[in-house]
Amino acid sequence: MMKKFGFTINAKRAIDLDINDRSIARQVAARVPSWSLCIGCGGCSATCTAGALTDYNFRKLHLLARRGETSALRKQLNNCMLCGKCTLQCPRGVNTRGVIAALMELLPGE
Amino acid sequence: MVNLYFEPFIIPFCIGVVFLFSVMWTKFISWISALPKSDRRMIRRNIFSSATLMALWEAFRECLLHLRIMRVNGRLWYMHTSLAFGWFLLIVFGKVEAILYLKSPVVPIYVDVFFRKYFPFAHIGWLGVVMDALLLFVLSGLTAAIIKRFRPSVYGMKRTTTHTLGDKLALSTLWFIFPLRLLAESFNSAIYDSGSFLTGSLGVVLAAIFPSKALPYINETMWWCYSIALGLFFVSVPVSRYLHIFAEIPLVFLRSFKVRTSVRATTFTKLQLAACSRCGICIDPCQLAANEISCDTQSVYLLRDEREGGASLAKADSCLLCGRCERMCPVGIKLDTIRTSVRHNRRKDTSTFDYGYIASADVTLPSAKTGFFSGCMGRLTPSVQASMKKIADKSGIAIWFIDQEEGICCGRPQRMAGNIDAADSMRERIEEMVVESGITTLVTSCPICLRTFTEDYNLGDIRIIHHSQFIAELMEQGLLDVEHTEAGFAYHDPCELGRGLKIYDQPRQVIARLGQLHEPAHHRDNALCCGGSLAHMGLELDKRVMIASSVSRELEQTGADCIVTSCPLCKKMLAKSSNLRVADIAEAVSEHI
Repeated sequence: MMKKFGFTINAKRAIDLDINDRSIARQVAARVPSWSLCIGCGGCSATCTAGALTDYNFRKLHLLARRGETSALRKQLNNCMLCGKCTLQCPRGVNTRGVIAALMELLPGE
Repeated sequence: MVNLYFEPFIIPFCIGVVFLFSVMWTKFISWISALPKSDRRMIRRNIFSSATLMALWEAFRECLLHLRIMRVNGRLWYMHTSLAFGWFLLIVFGKVEAILYLKSPVVPIYVDVFFRKYFPFAHIGWLGVVMDALLLFVLSGLTAAIIKRFRPSVYGMKRTTTHTLGDKLALSTLWFIFPLRLLAESFNSAIYDSGSFLTGSLGVVLAAIFPSKALPYINETMWWCYSIALGLFFVSVPVSRYLHIFAEIPLVFLRSFKVRTSVRATTFTKLQLAACSRCGICIDPCQLAANEISCDTQSVYLLRDEREGGASLAKADSCLLCGRCERMCPVGIKLDTIRTSVRHNRRKDTSTFDYGYIASADVTLPSAKTGFFSGCMGRLTPSVQASMKKIADKSGIAIWFIDQEEGICCGRPQRMAGNIDAADSMRERIEEMVVESGITTLVTSCPICLRTFTEDYNLGDIRIIHHSQFIAELMEQGLLDVEHTEAGFAYHDPCELGRGLKIYDQPRQVIARLGQLHEPAHHRDNALCCGGSLAHMGLELDKRVMIASSVSRELEQTGADCIVTSCPLCKKMLAKSSNLRVADIAEAVSEHI
């Protein structure tokens, strides 16, 4: 009998960059040029109400968009209230709210 | 047998009139009958009331005399009024002339339009003078219109509207109509030695220039050209901005019957799109145009695109919704609501949201009867909340700080983005929370929240006020004493508080208690937007700071020591661009306690 070492506990987490649609990130970058200024400081996530109450967080969103993980991204987007606190506190002047609005538009829900 | 007075040259004119009125009536009747039930009920309720008379008076004032334009720009007013009212009087007096001459109350419309051609010897002395004077009046307006097209600066306008193909066709034919009428009537006078001071004198000149044998042929040609110009103009009206001439009339009536402009577009929105005259008055007040950030997204262009098949989301999104253009619109079109409805239409598939989590925002129910809502922007300016605490302690008022720990959004940003359902789900949660708490007064320091609480929420008997009103009341009741100093304060009116909710006086009363009040060049309902508006999705920070800088310079020029505003978002934006200290009104008050 084969030994179980516990490797099957977590769901499969392979990110296949060849399959994922990374054009989304390119389109957002073209629409919101300031996105490229992000240094990943996390200020946006710290100030976010949705982030305080759920696992939503702009940095994660950023990463998912870059990797082209669109279904996870779409789920995340549903939490955003578009209140704009993240944009106001961003030390780099990234139009985070613009990024989210662009993502919502490029990834229409079902 | 009825005399129809048929002549071949009236054919182009008649085709134009029949086409125009059949298209127009089909449009208007289908729009009005497709209005939502509640709006049709309002029409039925108000049509037999003083509202109809009021509307009639407004239609006369605004569709013919254009008094609202007069208040904005005198020269522009002359142009519009001389064309509209002058043409209207020409039609009326033409009818009078025909009726008096033919001694019959029923005269076909083309007879009075081409009256001189039909009855060259008809001459009622005073009417001839009146008709010539009116023609001169209209021609002066036409000259003004031509000058405006090539030299808008003469009218104090930096930019004038760019035209569509339909507009260009209508505009060119319109420019030809009155000079052709002048020539046709003058050639008539040249042959029959009739006409008054204008057409008669020109007739004498023409008779001297042209051989008398040629005159009848030229005359016939001129009347044909006049008829063709009229016909072409009428045919192009439904596809051009000139539809506004007719669309404004039902608009005035429906508005008087209290038909509402909804964020979920109805046919009333279509009527408003048709009523836009593309005068371009909305372009110059726009700060995006003034700062050359975007020059093709102003209300006139949004309405034009929307009428011609649909404006893009990018165009609809590119606006601060500051309300400066809506305030200036001479037709009174609800520009901000229409823009939001365009956003709503374009976004409808993208607004999937799941705010199940907002119920978990922990709220401890208060004993206080007054609640204070900071809002999202307020939570980023904690000094405002601290100042409110100090003010409340000093006045002995117990306040429940609703979103002290964690607060959800009021929903207005989503509403402005056109995501109405998302906004409503937040509204429902906050309504439930506030009504359950048992407070009697809801105070907020954020004009964005205040506006949606006032306009969209149903909070029963709870009084909703801005913190500047709250402070002004405390001062009035003698509960809050402040020290008056020599310091000068320049007050910046936030858009949502000022133009949105018409709250101008209370913040000024409060500041006058603290020190000297300074007003910047643009203030009260003409105040500038700070550039921070959440309504604009795509505006990058550098552009926002550019707008804020121009506002800050104006505030600094007042010579004040400190800039005071009563919106957390304005405070943040102005602080980014001013050399002076920028304080919220609550902070300024708490420092003078």
